[in-house]
Amino acid sequence: MKERGPEYGKKTLLFIILPLILILFLMAGLFTGTVTIPADEILKILGGAEPAKPEWKVIIIDLRLPRVITALVAGMGLSVSGLLMQTVFRNPLAGPYVLGISAGASLGVAAVVMGFSFITGSYGLSLPGNWTMVMAAWAGSGLVLILILIVSFRIRDIMTILILGIMFGSAASAIVSVMQYFSTETVLRSFMIWTMGSLGGVTTPQLKIMVPAVLAGLILSLLSVKLLNAMLLGENYARSLGINISLARMLAFFSTSLLAGTITAFCGPIAFVGIAVPHLARMLIRDADHAILMPATIFAGGIVMVGSDIISQLPGLDSSLPINSVTALLGIPVVIWIVIHNRKLSGIF
Amino acid sequence: MTGHGKILQTEDLAIGYKTGKKVFDNICVSAEKAELIALFGPNGAGKSTLLRNLAGLQTPLSGEILLYGEKLKNYSRSRLSRILGYVSTEFIPVNNLRVKDLVSFGRYPHTGWMGRLGKNDIMKVDNAIDMVSIRHLKDKYIHQISDGERQRTMVARTLAQDTGIIILDEPTAFLDLPNKYEVVHLLHKLARESGKTIIFSTHDLNIAIQEADKIWLMLGEKMISGSPEDLILEGSFGKMFENTSLKFSRTKGEFGITRKFTAKISLMGPKTESRWTRNALERMGFGVVDDPAVQLQVVIHKKESLLEWELTFNKRKKQFWKIYDLCYFLADLGRSQPAGRQSGNEFSTSPRQTSHD
Repeated sequence: MKERGPEYGKKTLLFIILPLILILFLMAGLFTGTVTIPADEILKILGGAEPAKPEWKVIIIDLRLPRVITALVAGMGLSVSGLLMQTVFRNPLAGPYVLGISAGASLGVAAVVMGFSFITGSYGLSLPGNWTMVMAAWAGSGLVLILILIVSFRIRDIMTILILGIMFGSAASAIVSVMQYFSTETVLRSFMIWTMGSLGGVTTPQLKIMVPAVLAGLILSLLSVKLLNAMLLGENYARSLGINISLARMLAFFSTSLLAGTITAFCGPIAFVGIAVPHLARMLIRDADHAILMPATIFAGGIVMVGSDIISQLPGLDSSLPINSVTALLGIPVVIWIVIHNRKLSGIF
Repeated sequence: MTGHGKILQTEDLAIGYKTGKKVFDNICVSAEKAELIALFGPNGAGKSTLLRNLAGLQTPLSGEILLYGEKLKNYSRSRLSRILGYVSTEFIPVNNLRVKDLVSFGRYPHTGWMGRLGKNDIMKVDNAIDMVSIRHLKDKYIHQISDGERQRTMVARTLAQDTGIIILDEPTAFLDLPNKYEVVHLLHKLARESGKTIIFSTHDLNIAIQEADKIWLMLGEKMISGSPEDLILEGSFGKMFENTSLKFSRTKGEFGITRKFTAKISLMGPKTESRWTRNALERMGFGVVDDPAVQLQVVIHKKESLLEWELTFNKRKKQFWKIYDLCYFLADLGRSQPAGRQSGNEFSTSPRQTSHD
């Protein structure tokens, strides 16, 4: 129950506009693509009826719909995990991957892709979204999470935890490099494709795992708004307000791993969305209270990711661009703008 | 409440770093209900460390802290947060935070998992905002308000926390003089009117002496506690700066610089004007004496609203309209004296150069 200040009306308006834009983008994602399908046919398919051409149903139900849902969930999850890390580390340039989660996932994938081909000589594990790769990525990021939790249980200083997270990530990347060095070109290529990220490789059965996992992470994050607000004030103030800071951090780390780990496992590492979107949300609502900032971040994340996906397969392109390049090209200007606009990074939230 | 009504008490407390390095020990102090206590001590004495220990943010090396007669270490963090509030000088690097939201965070110990505010919570936040008179600022962002206003906001946050004890680490740091007085006076008022026990550290002894009920003085190896007046009469403040050029005036209740005078001058005139003329002359290195036989003499004439300083030197007289001009002339006079006449003379070559050692 927030007191209704003069800015109340503006915020209510934003929370009407943001979902509307999101729905618009979701529609655009469904209605556009390399194959042109008439809008009334698409509505028919979504309504459960048979379209004029049976392959259209396959395109909508098996390709575009999972892809749009994947983009939506990935955008929301990555943005929220970025917000969590920025608050916990009180660092505006923190993102979902500062703890080394994507590096851990890469390690898992590299171990499976390269190890598998090394043992069997085949390279059938090349497609992103393959179950074995998903499990490997999950295991890799889970390993990093366990290390971080052990560290944060024993070490109180947040900067030390940040540095250790970066070190874990670097170590994992180094091991991946060694593996790459000993891999054949074909295997290397399939690993490289994974690192470019993809929203199109996630199948409907996989969505049945990915969506609940990300939803759980989002709900967990929404339940931590009080802890996050308190952490914004710094460790001493948070503790003096009765917050168990170690527990609060662990909860945030767990949510981040669940979100970023799952998304990375299914879609590969997707850059810059997690760092840039929370700042976009801050610019829009100008309120540091997570009870408002987090829902705004969730909507903005969905919009940005679905939008990036639409850009990545603009009509006229034969095949879609790697999603990672699109998010980077969209996200980097935002980060640069933040750095230049604020100059004093100390007061960026 | 148990014991002798003591809200807070330490027993042979030793504080220091995690590494085991001792900062201060043998601390036996106490705080009563509705008392405003100023913690005073030189830089590095361990004021902040002591306050963090008392606030339960740091573990003592040894000894006990008792809150309401119960050991601090037996309090859970959430229970402690309902009886003790803490304000530090720590900068909050958040721009998009409104004053009223920051104050409402003070209600967290009393709210549920999501931190939602009920009617009672909103009322407490409102009251806290009014108590420190920041109602006109409540919709502003915390980076838009002045340091003094931000300090009041932080105080309001602990008031919303609704605790019997409030600990503040240097609440007057970074503030200008009126704001310093205002903040400490506010603490005084809160202690009186709300019955809270308030402990704050400060470097502003003058303000502490005027407003605090008790002063905890970290003096060398020893912690001294008492009313400011007792400490003044016992000469405790004087001891604090024994080996420095500072001198504590027991009559004025403030510190001054110990000066070495190199010349003598006599001064006559109305009380207030004499006091400030004396201030300037002493800064110039002239010891003001009552002896009318000295060579240098200043007489202040008050003609209606006009002031005139008449200087007698070398059997000559000169009039000045400003103290500054008088000082300027005296400094010139000092420089123009031949060096050989230095010893035994009432004024040496240049009192200005030797006056501040």
